[in-house]
Amino acid sequence: MKFRITAAFLVLFTFSCTNLDEELYDKVADDNFGTTPNEIQALVGGAYSSLRGFQDGISNAFPTSEYVFFLNEVASDEATIPTRGTDWFDGGRYQEVQRHQWTPENGMILSAWRYCYTGISKVNAIIYQINKSGLSEEAKRPIFAELRSIRAYYYYQLLDMFGNVPIVTNFEDQSLPGNSTRLEVYNFVEAELLESLPYLRSEIAYSKFTKNVAYSMLARLYLNSEAFIGQARWQDCIDMCQQVTGHTLAPDFFANFATNNQTSNEIIFSIPYDQKAGTIGNYMSSMSCHYMHRFTISPTGDYPWSGNGMAAQPGVWSKFAPEDKRRNCMVEGEQISLATGSVIIMDSGEPLIYTEDIVNFTDAKQNEGVRLGKYEMKAGEQWERDHDFVLIRYAEILMMQAECYVRLGSPDLATPFIQQITERAGTEMPTTIDLAFLNDELLREFAFEAHRRTDNIRFGTFFQPWWEKGVSEPFKAIYPIPATVLATNLNLNQNPGYPAN
Amino acid sequence: MNHTKTTARTPWALQSLALILTLLLSVGSFAQDKKLLTGVVSDNAGVALPGATILETATKKSVVTDENGKYTIEVTSGNTIEISFIGFETHIAVVNASTPSTLNVSLKESATMLDAVELVSVGYGKMRKSDLTGSISTVRGDDLVKGVVASTEQALQGKVAGLSIIQGTGDPASGATMRLRGGTSLTANNSPLVVVDGVAGVDINIVQPQDIKSVDVLKDASATAIYGSRGANGVIIITTKAGTKSSSVTYSGLTGISEAANNLDLLSANQWRQYVRENNIADAVDYGGNTDWQKELQQQGFMQQHNLGLTSGGEESGLRASLSYLKNEGVIKTTELERLSGNISGYQYALNKALKFDVGLFANIDKWHPLDYRVFERSFNLNPTIPVYNNDGSFTEVGGTLYENPVEILTNRRVDNERHRLLGTFKTEAKLFRDLTAIANLSLEHNAMQGATYKPTYAVLEGRTENGYAQRTYSEYTTAQAEVYLQYAREFGKHNVNVMGGYSYLENVYDGFGAQRSGFETDLFSYNNLGAGSNYRLGDVYSYKGKSNLVSIFGRLNYAFDSRYMLTATVRRDGSSRFGDNNKWGVFPSAAVAWTISNEKFMDATDNWLTNLKFRAGIGVTGNQDGIGEYKSLSILGVGRDSYYDPETGMWSLAYAPIQNPNADLKWESTRQTNIGIDFSLWNRITGTFEWYQKETNDLLYTYQVPQPPYLVGTMLANVGDLSNKGIELSLNADIVKNEKFTWNTNLVFGKNKQKIERLSNQTYQADVIYSGSLHGLAGMSNQFSQVIAEQFAVGTFWGREFYGFNEAGEEILSEDYKVIGDVQPDFTMGVGMNFTYKNFDLGWTGYGMFGNDALNATAMMLSDPNRMPSYNIPDAYYYNYGTTAPTYSSRWIEDASFFRLQTVSLGYTIPFKESKSKLRLYVLGQNLAVITGYNGVDPEIPLVSGDDQTGLANPGIDRFNNFPRPRTFSVGLNFTLGN
Repeated sequence: MKFRITAAFLVLFTFSCTNLDEELYDKVADDNFGTTPNEIQALVGGAYSSLRGFQDGISNAFPTSEYVFFLNEVASDEATIPTRGTDWFDGGRYQEVQRHQWTPENGMILSAWRYCYTGISKVNAIIYQINKSGLSEEAKRPIFAELRSIRAYYYYQLLDMFGNVPIVTNFEDQSLPGNSTRLEVYNFVEAELLESLPYLRSEIAYSKFTKNVAYSMLARLYLNSEAFIGQARWQDCIDMCQQVTGHTLAPDFFANFATNNQTSNEIIFSIPYDQKAGTIGNYMSSMSCHYMHRFTISPTGDYPWSGNGMAAQPGVWSKFAPEDKRRNCMVEGEQISLATGSVIIMDSGEPLIYTEDIVNFTDAKQNEGVRLGKYEMKAGEQWERDHDFVLIRYAEILMMQAECYVRLGSPDLATPFIQQITERAGTEMPTTIDLAFLNDELLREFAFEAHRRTDNIRFGTFFQPWWEKGVSEPFKAIYPIPATVLATNLNLNQNPGYPAN
Repeated sequence: MNHTKTTARTPWALQSLALILTLLLSVGSFAQDKKLLTGVVSDNAGVALPGATILETATKKSVVTDENGKYTIEVTSGNTIEISFIGFETHIAVVNASTPSTLNVSLKESATMLDAVELVSVGYGKMRKSDLTGSISTVRGDDLVKGVVASTEQALQGKVAGLSIIQGTGDPASGATMRLRGGTSLTANNSPLVVVDGVAGVDINIVQPQDIKSVDVLKDASATAIYGSRGANGVIIITTKAGTKSSSVTYSGLTGISEAANNLDLLSANQWRQYVRENNIADAVDYGGNTDWQKELQQQGFMQQHNLGLTSGGEESGLRASLSYLKNEGVIKTTELERLSGNISGYQYALNKALKFDVGLFANIDKWHPLDYRVFERSFNLNPTIPVYNNDGSFTEVGGTLYENPVEILTNRRVDNERHRLLGTFKTEAKLFRDLTAIANLSLEHNAMQGATYKPTYAVLEGRTENGYAQRTYSEYTTAQAEVYLQYAREFGKHNVNVMGGYSYLENVYDGFGAQRSGFETDLFSYNNLGAGSNYRLGDVYSYKGKSNLVSIFGRLNYAFDSRYMLTATVRRDGSSRFGDNNKWGVFPSAAVAWTISNEKFMDATDNWLTNLKFRAGIGVTGNQDGIGEYKSLSILGVGRDSYYDPETGMWSLAYAPIQNPNADLKWESTRQTNIGIDFSLWNRITGTFEWYQKETNDLLYTYQVPQPPYLVGTMLANVGDLSNKGIELSLNADIVKNEKFTWNTNLVFGKNKQKIERLSNQTYQADVIYSGSLHGLAGMSNQFSQVIAEQFAVGTFWGREFYGFNEAGEEILSEDYKVIGDVQPDFTMGVGMNFTYKNFDLGWTGYGMFGNDALNATAMMLSDPNRMPSYNIPDAYYYNYGTTAPTYSSRWIEDASFFRLQTVSLGYTIPFKESKSKLRLYVLGQNLAVITGYNGVDPEIPLVSGDDQTGLANPGIDRFNNFPRPRTFSVGLNFTLGN
């Protein structure tokens, strides 16, 4: 008997298992993916979805709201995030940027950096993944062209915001990279776009990186060439603009910002959003309007919560002529409740009247500041909005050409472009098209489209005092490399002018 | 030593021969008017006592009972024998001709010395406490069940030195957080490993406190190393009650009421009006009501608890069954915990006791309604003149941020959660040869949770914005374990050897799914018809599954010589599927020695007062693999909410993307611990233990920020950094008065721990400081942090500016520099209890406290914003001096959160039944009767785990609106035992 018991135990021991491989159920190992056309498509799709940004424990990095959008808007002369009581103080991060006194510790700067490099790493990972697939070189070429162009878009953002950034293209290389110069980054962006161009789609394909998008990005690059690398390339910019085909101005300016703006032929490149598709980060209106604003949209208040944050800087509203249709990109004045028909009364007992003036931006009243209302707000919307975020639209192609002709000393040649713009806006043509006019017109046309900081720098106004800031040193044209990035990568040097750590 | 070896090698045949010779000799001696006595020594519950001594006083001849309590001794007729066992009163009998040859003796327990004899579970076996070398504290089941305790953690509070248990909130469904000796991990679970009847890693709530016989808390590495990569935070071994030889029926029942022990003192409606008048606040709106918003959320909780237990058994088998029911209403409306729980266990011997089978089945169902914690902040915000209801009975609504009617939030939504737990165990013990036993232990644990939520179309917040919202979730895990081990135990002469070795395989599979919909035309369906919701989004349905396994081999050697010198050595080798490819296997060794000085000859002189004195020292390495999680080391692609637009079809599709930085080096956190202990016992009255320990945790897991580029994502789970904990512990138990009528017993546990981050970076990962204690979510504090994790500081060090007072303009004067402004770590923790009995009355109380710990009163920080009035209510009496500027985080809000809580006071009366083992005890009980503290918030005991925070050490000690008030409870109960 004892023998049998012993035997039974021996059998148990023999069944001893030592296999420690992890079995995957709801995820896939990278080795097993990217072999079918559908899988390839799902991978490339990831490069596009990265454009929407992300939110993690470290930062909120959304190009449409927190903090990438905030950073570039608040640094410019068109927007502000005033502190209202304790609300929107957040460690002084907005005040600091508003005053051009940002430090490498500012969390919004980190968000911008991480937005770009997370996107770049993702593209690198996808390229690596597709490289491993069995696709022919022929088949890979257009896919890589698309992916490299998206990556160049991110590097363009880095070139614009940080200048001297590391260029990383190989997913497998895990070594800590050092800085490239701003010129090297510039050349890289240009070369990547030019090399990709022949393989990109010629036809219009909404939200995809087509030839038109590449031409537009190159035009932007050349337009800001002087600011970026000290070498003006106005004619190159015009040449690129002229390559853009198939797009026209939408007759209704606001068609570009409607919930179904994907139907606008004016939009050259955008980040698509769809609430049902689970896209996140697209809630700019809620970052701006007063918390009772929802009653101006729906009598039952059927509109998401709003946080009463970002507003237009004082002076922006008055830059628009009353007849300028584009002025409706802002919400100003008395806010009438659709429930009561009378002015909304705030908790404090005062009426909700958005004023252009903000008396004290470190302790602003709840109603101060004109709000951002460029994108459509409608009753029943969910927190995540459906409208797509416009990155490039045809109006920019027109304005770039106009500006280049003015800068090349031929303002007459700018007239047909400006005419299209003012006609649609319902405004008068200026007697002379000069840089001062263009500077204001760019604000009116592209208010709250995240262009303004770059425009301010190109026009030099960035360094002059305005509203709540004094003179800004030239080195502030680019942001410092975020402190935590410098601390974790000792091969990186801080941008000139900023404390080295 | 030589002798040991020789004997250990003695073949079985020789031993048998020796036995036969002994028997022959016995027969021979019978003729010389000697008597051969056999019998079983047991305790008064009928449980056999192995190791009891039977001494023939005249000849000093003695024998020891075997593991079934059996003895055989040959005694000269007319001599006296003493049957003794430490912890029991010695039984004296005179052996004469009329003495039957079978003499079964049941010994009476002597209360004070019980510790010394208890068989202590050490993992894969039991040991006599006197033979222990490691640091192990034992709590008996009787001490656990005092008042309404839904969880064993709660019952352990203040009873084990070095084990700090922080109650969750006052929510009856909230658990407690256990930290042994300061905890070892920043991100991983710091709770001790729970072992129930030999099954490691189970949910502690599977066992009800009433079913527990004893709890052994293994504290130092020499004791826990047998659990290897799961032992770093200590091990709690729960032994449940089993069938006994005497049968009995027990019932215990309790019913009581509870109310919130404390509230914040805010302005009442009349005080608010007065304030508005006096301060001329023109904008203030008086809504005409008179509402105490905190009280509106509260109720008097009613609770009841019943437990029925049946026990029976005989020589060869025993059975026990119990059924418990608990219904505990919280002090906040809608909250409650309802639990039905059952336990059946039995054992059966076979083949002439060569085989023993044990089975156990535990099952329970919990039902509760999770609270929407947003109600608390709103109850502090709302103007007290706003009535709860409009005249037509609908809820009042005044717009504003964080201004929704909290009673509405509490009322107009339905959340029903349910958890089912099941644990089955099957153990076989087979005596292979004389001293060699083989044990196989099979178990299966299943834990399933389901949730159902409905927020109707008319409910504020999500209900309205989503136009009705319904959600169902289901998640479960199943853990199967098989363990086989061999045990060789032999006592010969003065040597006592116990060797154990075995293999263990564990497989954990978890999976779950959920679905949600919004956009309902009617609220009639509640959460029962998700398909009726017309608005759906990507991510509205999901499912997941994962699996991990753990393979181990382990061994232990115990050796004791003459009850004076003891040695223990253990080793465990763990392989885990979670570990990275480069670190699949870890080895966890330990060794310990002990010396019972009081058993030395030269200590005989002190025997009259120093009844026990023992020194212990041990060192070992243990691990914690909890923080890794499955698949964290691999390069994998995931599909999530990452969708992209396809212009050709106009449709959205899902993108696949790499989701994490792979780390093939990922491994367990390892803790090297040294422990020195002294056990002592004075006059058989006072017993105590003193421990000193030093723990160094290396390869600390943390989700480090890594540089981008080159890394794919900004964080990566990696093993970097060292953390140390050093401390002392003292446990004392004293029978101050002990006589027939009156007894007075006191016990005290004391622990002091000093924690320090020794290192935070290595060559790859550079982190000078990690900001923690997030204040995100508080108005104006987005992405702000209140604490640092930095080298040379303890976890939970408050870092900020110092507050010096107000200037003439009423603005805060703060230091320029940031500095250490507080520390969550207590200087020491303490638990104390006293029990008195007088005749049939008993009176007892217990309390516990933490001292020298700071807390951030973020609630006060937000409530003292001078801009609050008139929109938001403010605290009464300005217990904080308001300034003129909005408060910022500084030392102004760091408070000393030392406290002592009077946890239970009970008074009982026992009615004995003549000539039977039956008895009835009636008692009244108060829980959480008083808290002594200087802390200004609602409760100084701040839950360690709050909000979305994980189980790690980071982010402790922040009081931010989420304080579910702890209840004060009064109850009456009875315990009834019907036995024979």
